Amino acid sequence: DSNQVCLCRETTKTCWIAALEDQDCPPLNYINVCLIVLQVQQMQVPASSNAASWKHNKTKSLRKLKNNFWEFLYYFTLWGRSLQKIGGNFGGGVQSYFLFLRFLVVLNFVSFLLIAGFVIIPSFVLGSAESGFVNRPCMTYDPNPNTLVAFYEYFLHLLSGTGFMEDSFMFYGYYNNNTGTEDGSRAYNIPLAYIFTAIFYFAFCLCCIIARSVAVATGGSTVGNYSMIVFTGWDFGCLGNQATKLKQKNIYYRLQVDLEEERIKKQAASLTPWRKVALYSLRILMFVVALGLIGAAFFGIFKATDFSQVRDGQPGFLGLLIEFLPSIVITTGNFLVPLLCDQIALIEKYSPSITVVMALLRAVVLRLVSLGILLFTLCSQITCSGNAEASACQQCRYDHEKYPCWETRVGQEMYKLMLFDLLVNIALLVCLCFLVCVRIVVDNWSCKLSQLVGRQEFVVPSNVLGLVYGQTVVWAGALFCPLLPLMNTIKFVILFYCKKITLFHNCRPALKTFRSTTSTFFFLVVLLFGWTLALVVMIYSLAVINPSMACGPFRFFPSMWKIVPNSFYCLSKVTQDFLFFIGSQAFSIPLFALSCVIMCYFVALASIYGKSVEMLKAQLKLEGQDKQFLVKQIERLKLQHLMPALRAEVQD
Amino acid sequence: MGNKQTIFTAQQLDAYQDCTYFTRKEILRLFYRYRDLAPQLVPLDYTNHPDVKLPYELIGSMPELKDNPFRQRIAEVFSEDGQGNMTLNDFLDMFSVLSEMAPRDLKAYYAFKIYDFNDDDFICKSDLEKTLNKLTRNELTEDEVRMVCEKVIDEADLDNDGRLSLEDFQHMIVRAPDFLRYRNSDT
Repeated sequence: DSNQVCLCRETTKTCWIAALEDQDCPPLNYINVCLIVLQVQQMQVPASSNAASWKHNKTKSLRKLKNNFWEFLYYFTLWGRSLQKIGGNFGGGVQSYFLFLRFLVVLNFVSFLLIAGFVIIPSFVLGSAESGFVNRPCMTYDPNPNTLVAFYEYFLHLLSGTGFMEDSFMFYGYYNNNTGTEDGSRAYNIPLAYIFTAIFYFAFCLCCIIARSVAVATGGSTVGNYSMIVFTGWDFGCLGNQATKLKQKNIYYRLQVDLEEERIKKQAASLTPWRKVALYSLRILMFVVALGLIGAAFFGIFKATDFSQVRDGQPGFLGLLIEFLPSIVITTGNFLVPLLCDQIALIEKYSPSITVVMALLRAVVLRLVSLGILLFTLCSQITCSGNAEASACQQCRYDHEKYPCWETRVGQEMYKLMLFDLLVNIALLVCLCFLVCVRIVVDNWSCKLSQLVGRQEFVVPSNVLGLVYGQTVVWAGALFCPLLPLMNTIKFVILFYCKKITLFHNCRPALKTFRSTTSTFFFLVVLLFGWTLALVVMIYSLAVINPSMACGPFRFFPSMWKIVPNSFYCLSKVTQDFLFFIGSQAFSIPLFALSCVIMCYFVALASIYGKSVEMLKAQLKLEGQDKQFLVKQIERLKLQHLMPALRAEVQD
Repeated sequence: MGNKQTIFTAQQLDAYQDCTYFTRKEILRLFYRYRDLAPQLVPLDYTNHPDVKLPYELIGSMPELKDNPFRQRIAEVFSEDGQGNMTLNDFLDMFSVLSEMAPRDLKAYYAFKIYDFNDDDFICKSDLEKTLNKLTRNELTEDEVRMVCEKVIDEADLDNDGRLSLEDFQHMIVRAPDFLRYRNSDT
C-alpha cells in the first residue's frame, strides 16, 4: 500500500512540474494534481515493480528517521531556546559570548569526566593515603588537625579550602603513591595515571579549541550572505506573536551587521588619497599609543611588585597597604587601560568586528599578567626565590616550614580565585536586583543611580576576558586540584544564568552589532593565550620544582616527571625499542616531511576547487547571455517570416 | 479511528491521505478547523464534493496565520482563484506544504510564488523590496533596503537579467542546508 503512495507521489511530481512548465495550463495546486493522478492510477492495473519501490520506501523512511533524530537532539541542546531568545533580542554579537560560555561549560564537564575516570575513581577504589603522623624532617604534614570545629569554622574552611576540604579528594595531597603492585591482581599505577591524565587533559583541551576554531572559521560563508538571510531567514512555521517579532528582529540584526560593514567600506573607498594617508597614519599613531599604555601598565606593576617585596614585613596599616600594592596596581590597570583603549578606538574608526577584536587583544595580556604575577610570587616563596642554599629551603629543597604540602597550597590559591570571581558576579547580580526593585518602588525618583539601570550596553570583550581568566585559573590549578573542572562547570552554569538575568533586565540592545564568526574565532585565539600560560605553569611544576615529600603521589621522586622514565624501564624490551625508534630522528624527520607534503596537497586541491567554481560561474553567465541572444534572433526571424505574409494579406 | 465518520467516503479519505502528508486523524482535525471558521457555510457532508469557498478574511484570522507577515501572500498562492478564498482542497494543501514532512523542492516552489508579489513568475526588485519590508517589519531605511536588494540580485541572479527566476531561486536554496528547518542558522 505504501508502494502505491510512493509511486503516486513521484508521478504527481512529474505531472505537476510538467503542468507548471506548460504555459497554457492554469496553475494547479499540488493536491489537485495528486488527486487526478490517483484517479488515473486507480483506473489502471497497478503494475508496480516491487523491488524499486521497496528500496525507495526504505530510503524515505531512513531519511525521515534521521530528520526526527536531529529534531530530537536539537530539542535537548543545552540552552537552545535561551540562546535563540538572546540572539533575537540582542543580536549575534552578544549571542556569541553566550555560545562561548556554553562551549566552556561542555569542555569543563568532559574534562572532569576524564579526570574522574582515570584518577579519582581509581584512587577511591584502591584506598586512600595512610594517615600516619611521621615525625621526620620534611615529612610532617597534618591537613586536618582539629576534627572537632565550631560551625562557623566549617564555613571558613569551605571558602578557603582548608580543614576538612584539604583532607579530601579535592587536593593533590590526599592522593597516595600506591602503585598497586603489592598483590598482582590490581596493577594500577596511580602516580603514572595522575601525570598522564594531566598531560592528556591539556592536549585534549588544545584539540577541542583548535577543532572549534576550525569549525567556526569555515562555518560561516560570506558568499551569498544577503540572499541567504533574506530567503532562508524566515521559516514558515506557525509562530506566535512574540516569536514572530523575535524572528523579525533577528533578521534585522543580521542584515545590520552586513550593512554596517558595507557602509564603512563605502566610506573608506570614498576618501581622497590625502585623507586615506591621514587615516592610516592616525591608526599607526594610535596603535603605538595603545602599546605605550600597556607597556606603562606593565612597568607600573613590575615596580609595585618589586617595591612590595623589598619593603616586606612592615607593621600596621602601612604594611597591609604595601602587601596589597601589586593587586591594587593591577586592578587599576585592568580598569583604566580598557577605558582609554575604548577612547582610542573611537578615533581609529574601524568596523565594529575589528574594534571588538582589537579591544580583546589589547586587554588580554594585561588581564593574564595579574595571574602570572601571582603564580610567580607563589613560586618564589615556595622555592625561596630559586636559592637552594637559603636556610628555609636547605633541608628539603623547598620551604617545608611554610608549605609542608606546597601543591595543595597552590591548588587552594586557584580555588580561592575561582570562588572569589563567582562571588563577585553573584554580588553584582544582587546589587542589580536591589536597584531594579528600588526603581520599581520609587518610580519618579530621578536619581542618577536609578537612571544608570537599564541603559547599559552589554560589553562583550571584557566579559569574554573574564571567562578566559577563569578558565586559565582552572587550567593552571587542575594539576593540584583535580576536582577544579567540576567546580568550574558549576560556576559557569551559575554565571550563565546571572549574566542572562543581567542582560535582560539591565541592558538595551547595542546600536551597532558585529559579525559573530570573526569575533568567535578571536575568542578562541585569546583562550589559547591563557592555555599557554597554564602550560608554562604545568611544565615548570612537572619538571623543575621538587614535589613535597610529605604528601601526594610523587612523594619520593626528585621531580614529578621522573616517574615516567622510571616506569619506562619496567616495560618489555620490544616496547622500549619501539618507543626509542619512534623518538629517534630516523622516524620523525620523514614523518615531518610526509605531513608537509600532505598539507601542500590539500592546499593545492582547495585552490583548484575554488578556481573551477569561479570558472563555472562565469560560464553560467555566458550561457545566460547566449540564451538571450538566441531568443532575440528567433523573434527577429519570426517577424521576418511574418512580414511577407502580412504584406500579401494587406495587398489582398 | 473507526469508520464512524460520515464526512468523507473511505475512498476520499484515502485519496487525501495519499496526496497530503497527513494521517487520517490529522485530516479530520483540519476539516474541523476549516469548519469552525464558518460553521454555517461548510456542510458536514463532503461525499458529493460541494463547492464551498471561505473568504480570505476568515482564513487570515486563524491563529497560525494571524501573526505571519506573509499571510496574505500565502492565502493568495494556495487559493485556486488567486484572491485568497480557499476551498477545502486548498486549505489542506496549504497546511500540507507548510508542514515539516513536505519535501524541500515543493516548499521551494511555493516559497518562490509567495515572494513573487506581482505574479509574473520572476522575483524582481520591487518584489524583493516588499519581502524585505515584511521580513524586518519596516525597520530598515529606504537606502538600506535598496542596498540589500541590489546585493541579493547580485548574488543570486545567475543568468544576469536583473531579476530572479525559479531556477536561480532553487539553485540558491539548494546551497542552504537550513531551508525551512527549525534551526537558527546564525550559530
